[in-house]
Amino acid sequence: MKIRPTVIALLSFIGMIDALYLSMKRNAGPIPCHITHGCTDVLTSKYSAVLGVPLSWFGLAFYLTIFSMAVLKIFDDETNPVEFPFKVVFYLSGLGLIISAMLVGIQAFILKAFCEYCLLSASLVLIIFLTAPNPGRHKLPA
Amino acid sequence: MKNMSKATKPVIVIVLAIAVAAGAAVFLARQPDEAAKTSETAGTLDTKIVGGHFRGPENAEVTLVEFGDYQCPSCGAYHPFVKEILNRYPTKVRLEFHHFPLITIHPNSMAASKAAEAAGQQGHYWEMHDALFEYQAQWSERPDPKPVFAALANRIGINGAILLQDMENPALQQRILKDVEQGDKATIQAVPTFFIKGQQVHIKASIDDFVQVIEANLHK
Repeated sequence: MKIRPTVIALLSFIGMIDALYLSMKRNAGPIPCHITHGCTDVLTSKYSAVLGVPLSWFGLAFYLTIFSMAVLKIFDDETNPVEFPFKVVFYLSGLGLIISAMLVGIQAFILKAFCEYCLLSASLVLIIFLTAPNPGRHKLPA
Repeated sequence: MKNMSKATKPVIVIVLAIAVAAGAAVFLARQPDEAAKTSETAGTLDTKIVGGHFRGPENAEVTLVEFGDYQCPSCGAYHPFVKEILNRYPTKVRLEFHHFPLITIHPNSMAASKAAEAAGQQGHYWEMHDALFEYQAQWSERPDPKPVFAALANRIGINGAILLQDMENPALQQRILKDVEQGDKATIQAVPTFFIKGQQVHIKASIDDFVQVIEANLHK
């Protein structure tokens, strides 16, 4: 059992559902919050899209890429492992973490409202980044 | 054959995962939600606010101030409740509508506000306001929504060609931007945002919650 890629695949799978859910809800009226307050504020704010493209679509592309890399690693040939999937996961999740931190900052300091679905996504990105082995520091495990 | 099978397995897993994730998201999105509230960030409105369009009697006890965006799905979802409130309280409540087009996420919202203002030039602002919300799905995602605006204008009994001409009038955009400026001063971050007596009110997208908020303000 390859623990790291399996964990990353599971987390990115949850992220895919989260991003798909937000993409569907975006054009369906007010978005309810259950834990936090202000989902509609955040998801209908001017920060919720870049050049007209909803951030949830970027999130979906991100999680799909991470998930695909993790699955490739799970099915990797242990006698001749390929290293690029973990490299992609590490650098992409690092970039995702920076963007997530900026988005959490916008929620906290500009919008003063929090969206639980966005916070879930930020948490997933953080755990994926921490789970992915740093290719620069040590030899990549299988 | 063995190699092909090895390469195919991850692809099958990825495709299956996409299908399952899509199914799960559709299932969750279709669950009946507790009605979401309008913008929940605290805000107050300068009572000397100017402009806006009024619907209802001038001496109404309660003026419901709305900052809205014609392309915003939430505004479209709230529209029937606002209309219902005006029908239920014809002498006690009036609506004051201000444009707040979020152009970065709703590229057709400014054009829609202009269409409403242009209809106002022909004396039919509120008819166009209703039509824009009621037929939102027909124009909101179009690269060029103008033909739909012209068709809606004809539908409400005004001249569509003149409406399109009037939309080019820079004075209309100035009026809309004045509303946006006031909304920015009130630190509005999302739409729709409602105010009563200068205070932001948080209303769920349900007629019961609207009635509760209006009743509470009628008896203040």
